[in-house]
Amino acid sequence: MITNDIYGALQLLVVGMLTVFAVLLIVINLGKLLIWAVNKWAPEETVAKKVAPAAKAIEAIDANTKAIIDATISKITGGKGRVTKVTKL
Amino acid sequence: MEEILNNIYQMTAFSDIIAANGTYLIMYLLAFVLLYLGIVKHFEPLLLIPIAFGVLIANFPGGDMGVYQADEAGRIVDAAGNVLAENIWEMSLPQIAHDLGLMNFLYYMLIKTGFLPPVIFMGVGALTDFGPMLRNLRLSIFGAAAQMGIFAVLIIAVASGQFNIKEAASLGIIGGADGPTAIFTTIKLAPHLLAPIAIAAYSYMALVPVIIPLVVKMLCSEKELRINMKEQDKLFPSGQKMKNEKVIKIIFPIAVTTIVALLVPSAVSLIGMLMFGNLLKEIGSDTGRLFDTISNSIMNTATVFLGLCVGATMTVQAFLNWTTIGIVVGGFFAFGLSIASGICMVKVTNLFSKKKINPLIGATGLSAVPMASRVCNEISTKYDPKNHVLNYCMSSNVSGVIGSAVAAGVLISFLQNMSL
Repeated sequence: MITNDIYGALQLLVVGMLTVFAVLLIVINLGKLLIWAVNKWAPEETVAKKVAPAAKAIEAIDANTKAIIDATISKITGGKGRVTKVTKL
Repeated sequence: MEEILNNIYQMTAFSDIIAANGTYLIMYLLAFVLLYLGIVKHFEPLLLIPIAFGVLIANFPGGDMGVYQADEAGRIVDAAGNVLAENIWEMSLPQIAHDLGLMNFLYYMLIKTGFLPPVIFMGVGALTDFGPMLRNLRLSIFGAAAQMGIFAVLIIAVASGQFNIKEAASLGIIGGADGPTAIFTTIKLAPHLLAPIAIAAYSYMALVPVIIPLVVKMLCSEKELRINMKEQDKLFPSGQKMKNEKVIKIIFPIAVTTIVALLVPSAVSLIGMLMFGNLLKEIGSDTGRLFDTISNSIMNTATVFLGLCVGATMTVQAFLNWTTIGIVVGGFFAFGLSIASGICMVKVTNLFSKKKINPLIGATGLSAVPMASRVCNEISTKYDPKNHVLNYCMSSNVSGVIGSAVAAGVLISFLQNMSL
């Protein structure tokens, strides 16, 4: 009985280890294949750089408003001052 | 007056504890040691503390918190020889709760049915990142080598004559260092040995910080432990880099489940749940609520009940016998041999490869994720503070989970229907 069990255990050792190695080799190669396929057909999309909200606000100022601000500053400073940046508080 | 005092004495647990000649004291000592390791030494506290407390509360006579083990016919007999249940498999759950107590209700409902192991695997999957494995696919093969301990101890246990082949397989699976897998396999092959096997598996998992350094110290030289994986990567860069990790990580669990299901269907309940949990994590915000539930609420609930129930199986009657002692010793060998075989495979690979591998990566081929990797990283940084091997270890560590589940699947499919 024990001899039969030892024979069975040896058989399990061979079959078990071969199966574990085979499955993990398949998983490894599957991973490599996946990386290759995704790199080829679905490489990461280039995401457009997000524009900072403050910068957006400056761009949002229309030309008329900018002209009014420029004119006011020019009048107050006697033509010496100049608007370089408008920041929303 | 004397009679009243005697009745009070009989009411307390002291009467039974003293009558048992100190055997309960051994169990209390064991519980306190486990609690000490969990609370003071921080050895896997989430696991060890529920187990230790389960051991403690299970061993107060009259408390009805210890789990009774049924024999192969489902018969339950207490320490005094009284038959508590003729066939537990024919009892309803409320009847089990009423006749045998709360802990038996939890144990027979959650563990003996095989419910908790796949649930825990689902939570483990949700907490697992396959990224390190995908980035270092070559290292994943060491997760296979580290399963050697399972089959080696299976042969030793059978040769000892103490265990039949099904019992030996359940003992050997402790070497996979994966509690849910050990429980799942034992339920299928040798349910009467579930208590000592679960205890041994979880205790050794919690003692990974002690066992891995011991084996590593025996087998590895300082020069080998100083091998810097990042430097090796710079010297010999690997070919493919992932351009779209998110998509790969979503497809990977689906593909692995399909492949494993086709090759080893008996491992699907473990691998399938593991990969399902992982898929929910990788999909991201669309399944965020499900991921949150399985990785927190479900996983924590399952761990609490599993720990308490496993601890409660460790009663005086179940623990202090030669079969259990044989399982505890055999489990240690299975664990040690698994670590050793992973290390040896790295050493053999290093003989034939220019790109050297730190043997600690082989030592993490057994499951016990991520503790084994953490322990190995601590060992490597002890020799060289700049040598962080965590990510590399995680590769073989995660593949070890797949490897041990596949090994369990092989054992179950070969032995489940075998008549002895």
